[in-house]
Amino acid sequence: MIEVKDITKKFGRKQVLKGVTFTAEKGEITCLIGINGVGKTTILNAIMALTPIKTGEILIDGEKLKPATFNHITFIPDAITVLPQMTIEESMQFMKDYYGTWNDDRAQELLSFFKLKPEEKISSLSKGNTAKANLLLGLALDVDYILMDEPFSGIDMFSREQIADVFTSHLIEDRGVIITTHEIGDIEHLIDKVVLLDDGVVKKQFYTEEIRAAEGKSVIDVMREEYKS
Amino acid sequence: MKINFNRREPVYVQVIRYFKQQIATNMFEPGQEIPSRRELAGEIKINPNTVQRAYKEMEEQGLIYTEGNLPSKITQDEQVLKAVREELIMDAVDEFVATVQPVHAPFEEIITLLQEKYEQAIEGKGDEQ
Amino acid sequence: MKSYLRLTEFELGRFFKFYFVLIGLTIVSQLIGVVVVSKGYMSEANKAIFQEGMSKQTFIEQTGPISLLGWMNSIWFLGPIAFCIASLLIYMFLIWYRDWLGKNTFIYRLLMLPTQRINLFFAKATAIFAMVLGLVALQVLLIFIAGIVLEWMVPNEFMSVMSITDLSIAFPYLHTILPATFTEFVLYYSTGLMAVFVFFTAILIERSYRWKGLIFAIGYVALATIFFMSPFIVSMISEEVSLYPLEWLTVQIILGLIVVVASVVVSRYLLAKKITV
Repeated sequence: MIEVKDITKKFGRKQVLKGVTFTAEKGEITCLIGINGVGKTTILNAIMALTPIKTGEILIDGEKLKPATFNHITFIPDAITVLPQMTIEESMQFMKDYYGTWNDDRAQELLSFFKLKPEEKISSLSKGNTAKANLLLGLALDVDYILMDEPFSGIDMFSREQIADVFTSHLIEDRGVIITTHEIGDIEHLIDKVVLLDDGVVKKQFYTEEIRAAEGKSVIDVMREEYKS
Repeated sequence: MKINFNRREPVYVQVIRYFKQQIATNMFEPGQEIPSRRELAGEIKINPNTVQRAYKEMEEQGLIYTEGNLPSKITQDEQVLKAVREELIMDAVDEFVATVQPVHAPFEEIITLLQEKYEQAIEGKGDEQ
Repeated sequence: MKSYLRLTEFELGRFFKFYFVLIGLTIVSQLIGVVVVSKGYMSEANKAIFQEGMSKQTFIEQTGPISLLGWMNSIWFLGPIAFCIASLLIYMFLIWYRDWLGKNTFIYRLLMLPTQRINLFFAKATAIFAMVLGLVALQVLLIFIAGIVLEWMVPNEFMSVMSITDLSIAFPYLHTILPATFTEFVLYYSTGLMAVFVFFTAILIERSYRWKGLIFAIGYVALATIFFMSPFIVSMISEEVSLYPLEWLTVQIILGLIVVVASVVVSRYLLAKKITV
């Protein structure tokens, strides 16, 4: 379980996070939703110790992040994290060199799943294929938790569909996933849990099936209510 | 396989209803293997945990059964199958009555219309085939 | 350790193309230089001897014999060295900033490697240092080759043969990059490595606190410099404190080690707790 406990963060004078608390379980897809600039990316960065937090605490399976934690958790930012001059194959090799958790079989499967050509250079890939290659490099790691920042934004419809298919496939297996989005539309039925963020706080966190069962509301209904108030 | 989901109703409930429809209309035959959790999730593009929940519920209701590590199968229990069929008809009738009753049409008129339409529907299907 | 070596290799690989350009430029420029300088000298000698009727002895007495010093004083020799130094100084900053400011934000990847983040610091420092030593080695080789070329080009009586040690003593610029003794060499380059550590720490301070960090970073560099130079400063202010050379050296080494350790400790803390992508 990933526990984010009352974290705060300031950028200059602007308080971006004002005490954010939520949990994400293994085997579930947790979705951080909020309009842009609400600090979703900052939260993922904070979980990975890519930016410091002012107060609060983040625990991954009960422990604070240390170098070995990167064998259990990975983060797929919204831009690809390997060098543009590398080919897909080279970037896979780079990952393999450093991560003992690299799973070659899954990497090969992802290559064919996404129909990517290993000899292509990262810099020459289309936006959609860059997003897929980016995803491949993270998903091929045998980690328990995967964080993804806006995996669906800024790419064409077909790439979006293909990426959505990953979430229902065995490529995710029973890992814990946290994704951020500012648009719930496409993925409403793919996720387990929603964490609604607004103005630096968690407005509400809930399981999508439960809110439908208990209140007969769609995720968008809840968002409308919460953002209006 | 295509399901148009209602966003305001639990998805697992909608999956179960879909299965019941398929069973009642014989699209799923008794004893037929059903897709695995992952397969179904991928096919209808929903969260695998939701499929899991639907399958668990269906197993409890006796709609499907699992032997050992084999894939789950549609029940062969006549009574359950009959009940599913009846439930589906009852639901449809309830809905129909709820829509038509406020119009206050005479019952005979409705019966006649219903019969005509029903026969047309059967003929129409016959033509298609 | 494995990650550190991999990262070092990787960092070297990333700069290698440009590094080869530096090497190529140095070789070409310095070899052309030795030819140009010795030809220039010989044409002067020929002019003096054959046109003006001067004797060889008088010419050598008046102009002096040719040695590698003449070559070293030329732009052909100093130009590429200055260019290499400038490039590596700039790259000392770029080696970090390119990971943040490059087209793909590679810093995410580097900071998420399952290894102590301080390994990034050591790997980058090692890469810079290895490239510096590589260029120094190249320079020694080129001086040696230049000596041979000079012998080919110029008749022996015009030449004054000098060893690298002699050259280093005679030519202060060379002395800075190639001190005359091994001890000096170790001391100079250790100081250089210390400077790299200090600048890396300054960069990480800036990367952690951004604008505010820039001030701290400059402050850190100033502080480290003053601290390291404190024996000089003290001896300038008061003449009472006087140290024997060996004492002076010991104090200097201790101060240097403190600066290095402080830089590593601060960088380690920043990379683990304060760095921001």
